[in-house]
Amino acid sequence: MTALVPLSAAASPDPTPATAAMSALLEVRNLTINYASPRGTLRAASDVSFAIRPGEVMGLVGESGSGKSTVAMAILDLLGEAGRIDGGEILFEGTDLRRLSAGQRRSLRGDRIAAVFQDPFTSLNPALTVGRQIAEPLVQHKGFTPRQAAPRVEELLAEVGIREPRRIAQSYPHQLSGGMQQRVLIATALGCDPKLLILDEPTTALDVTVEARIIELLAGLCESHHLSALFVSHNLGIVNRICNSVCVLYGSEVVETGRTRDVLARPVHPYTKGLVAALPRITTDRRHRLSSIPGTVSKLSGPPDSCVFAPRCPFAEETCRRLPQALRGDAAGNSVRCWKAEALSGTPWPEESTASRPPATPPARTAPLVQVDALRKVFGERRSILPWLRRDGTVAVDDVSFTIQRGEVLGVVGESGSGKSTIGRSLLALIEPTAGTVLFDGADFVKQAKEGDRDLRRRAQLVFQNSAASLNPRKTVGAAMERPLVLAGRQGEAERREMIAALLTRVGLPAAYADRYPHELSGGERQRVNIARALATDPEFVVCDEAVSALDVSVQANILNLLADLRDELGLSYLFITHDIAVVSHIADRVLVVYGGTICEEGPIGRVLRPPYHPYTEALLSAVPRLSGAEDGPEPERILLEDSTAPPGGGGCAFRGRCPRKLGTICDERAPPVQTATDGHRIACHIPLAELAERASVFPELAALH
Amino acid sequence: MLLYTLTRLAYLAMVLVVMSILVFLVTQAMPGDVASMIAGQFASKEVIDAITVKLGLDQPLIVQYGRWAAGILQGDLGRSLVLEQPVAPILMEALSRSLVLAVVALAVVTVIGIGAGVLAAVRRGRMADQMVSGVSYLGIAVPDFFWAIVLVLIFGSYLKWLPTGGYAPLADGFVPWASHLVLPVVTLVLMLIARIARLTRSSMIDVLQTNYVKYARAKGLPEKVVIVRHALRNALLPTITVLAIDFGLILGGVVVIETVFSFPGMGRLLLFAIQRHDLPLIQATILIISTAYCLANLAADLLYAFVNPKIRHGMGNA
Repeated sequence: MTALVPLSAAASPDPTPATAAMSALLEVRNLTINYASPRGTLRAASDVSFAIRPGEVMGLVGESGSGKSTVAMAILDLLGEAGRIDGGEILFEGTDLRRLSAGQRRSLRGDRIAAVFQDPFTSLNPALTVGRQIAEPLVQHKGFTPRQAAPRVEELLAEVGIREPRRIAQSYPHQLSGGMQQRVLIATALGCDPKLLILDEPTTALDVTVEARIIELLAGLCESHHLSALFVSHNLGIVNRICNSVCVLYGSEVVETGRTRDVLARPVHPYTKGLVAALPRITTDRRHRLSSIPGTVSKLSGPPDSCVFAPRCPFAEETCRRLPQALRGDAAGNSVRCWKAEALSGTPWPEESTASRPPATPPARTAPLVQVDALRKVFGERRSILPWLRRDGTVAVDDVSFTIQRGEVLGVVGESGSGKSTIGRSLLALIEPTAGTVLFDGADFVKQAKEGDRDLRRRAQLVFQNSAASLNPRKTVGAAMERPLVLAGRQGEAERREMIAALLTRVGLPAAYADRYPHELSGGERQRVNIARALATDPEFVVCDEAVSALDVSVQANILNLLADLRDELGLSYLFITHDIAVVSHIADRVLVVYGGTICEEGPIGRVLRPPYHPYTEALLSAVPRLSGAEDGPEPERILLEDSTAPPGGGGCAFRGRCPRKLGTICDERAPPVQTATDGHRIACHIPLAELAERASVFPELAALH
Repeated sequence: MLLYTLTRLAYLAMVLVVMSILVFLVTQAMPGDVASMIAGQFASKEVIDAITVKLGLDQPLIVQYGRWAAGILQGDLGRSLVLEQPVAPILMEALSRSLVLAVVALAVVTVIGIGAGVLAAVRRGRMADQMVSGVSYLGIAVPDFFWAIVLVLIFGSYLKWLPTGGYAPLADGFVPWASHLVLPVVTLVLMLIARIARLTRSSMIDVLQTNYVKYARAKGLPEKVVIVRHALRNALLPTITVLAIDFGLILGGVVVIETVFSFPGMGRLLLFAIQRHDLPLIQATILIISTAYCLANLAADLLYAFVNPKIRHGMGNA
């Protein structure tokens, strides 16, 4: 069931970055792309140059708005109507694609240059079988008839690791899991034996355990087919695993490019330094603040007249603001767009003032603030007089119990469908549990909420993932924040204005933002507004549902620091729901690892990150893409799980369908016993604790820490 | 799919039962006494009473309804009081003419409306798009009777190319049959096409922005294939529903158009029945119209399910 694959995607023959342009499969030279927008022309790519040699996988990394997807789409000639290439060349096997006719470019697409997009579900046509969709490029480019293509389609599906290719070929996209859908897209791309793959965030929409499998598959395919790939991603950990070389974009420009191990281990450009420093790493030391990059990307109109990163750069000088920077290469083939590169080569990104937090005090053993007992939620259960309309429903949360102390941050980690959001919403009485109780400060929250008790609502608040969708676009920030204040009984308008200003200041925004509309703010700023709004009612408890997941790394670090500060200053308790174990390790005191609506493992973060592990926790931790450089020694073996399948119903363990260490029928038949290790570290598994403890730590580097 | 169809048929039966009760009650509440109408203005009270007893009008409502409903189930729709003949053949004749009108008009609307909508979506913001919008607005903003009269004046009275009204059965030959249909069909098309074109345009625009259309292009498929196979197939889902409703609408009679063109369809029949207080005819006509409407909707739902695999393969959850 499980394959242990040494983590060496980059172990293929190590092509040094192209110095000789002739040998490049794809070379982008001085590419400049502008977007027509209602507010004038916006720069999406300026003077972008890079080269990919045969067999090379190049990472194109950057945060939202950096232009990385624009460049990828330009290579595919899929910019759409608003985007316009204003200069430069895109050389594929020596031919400038821009000089070809649209028809010639089209005939390369899907044949020599194939693509895999970010969200597999939306990239597949819901109305056609996947077999038909995989066959399309074959029919189009290779002259197959649909009938002739069928065996090849099955071959392709088998190659991407799908076990029943014939059955899957006849399925529709909605019948497949996310991982399977992405395999289907990869099979489609491979159909015509392309030379170059354009991979646009191919794993971003997937769960981390699925992502690990897909990355492994892609790395293997690139090697066995001697494929080149442009791997567009915001995730440095993934890039580190699969890419030979990397090209870092910031504000439409290439700021640094070179071999992955050089760039990520010893970044030279200040932006790359900041990006690497801001990446949350697994840690058990909650006292450190995450490094972050201050400010936001400036609006890009007109040609650059200064270093684009200067406004956010801690090393910026007068010269940086006066002169646009040129990309300059060194002998090793790495290039940097910063005139101070040599001077800065050894200088790290400045750490945030480590006015270190008080060490996490174990919360007082008083009555818990939140107490959840045997929580169960079933969705979609339906009774009907017509027997074939009756449905049992889906169990989202099954018999979950836990407590949160005052001032404690409880992390909930799980994949999509694990029930983590349902737990969060049940706690706030936003959905009514099917069974079980939720006590908030000793009172039954659900019952009180039903009876219209506003006070409990005031004391418990929520911050969502999508910062834009949780603000009304037609209301100013101030108006959005005023409502909870009115509900909390703040009657005076002057008083409310003052409070809004104070709240905005508290979350690090200028008080003048009260008059702005959500669309005028960046994603990070909007999330600060959401946090400020949640704080408006002076709550004791906040549920953060993937509150930092949609943000860029540099902004995510800012928000995490803010949340940690607020907790220290105001004594807040959080339920911190996330799929990202690294994020949780920075903020949480204790963690629940949930799978299929049940708790697999819970305990203090320092315990959960070390053995004994629940088999699921172990796989989850091992799947986390990391930025360990070459100097950290060989990476540990990675545990790869099967693609996610719906948790099987019935008695046994929710994880048994994917568990690499399944014992046998006992796992199918009986719910796993909860075994207690130390310090409230509990694992629900049939495997004895002693045996679980025998596994090596996924994070040997943590051994030194405490 | 079978399960889904069965479920839908069960619902349909329930709807029709409720409909028949409503139709029956509403016609009972209409002013005027059937017996005295049949007997004539100068009939004596005894004669009227005799007719009342003969027709069972003195019985409780529930018994009257039971008898009526039982008759319908046996294919007996009653006798027209005014025309003094069974209702069924009259109805079937009108229905068949409305059916011809509906099929021809819908075929034209489907082809031109969807075509125009697709064209407008693909050429969004350009000349073709604006032309489609302009013309379709003109069709919807000006009332149908105006178009009907204008068309009759131009092609019927002035140019004398086409008959001004009436209907010729196909048995009289294709040309007379078709020539009587042209003007009503054109008027109907003008009335219906705007909605279809605009609906197709907007769902096409949505679908053209989806990732799967982008991915279809990334496969190097020609634009024609991208638009027809990948975009249109998904964009048609809402249009199918509206087309089916329109079909039911024409089947049920388009009173204004049928009147202007003296077209003897369901609309004119219903109008006639109401004007003459012909209760059995009213009841039967309304019942047939609602049945036609429900069937058209059922057909739309089945077609929708057929085009949309998410419904087709998830029938248990329907």
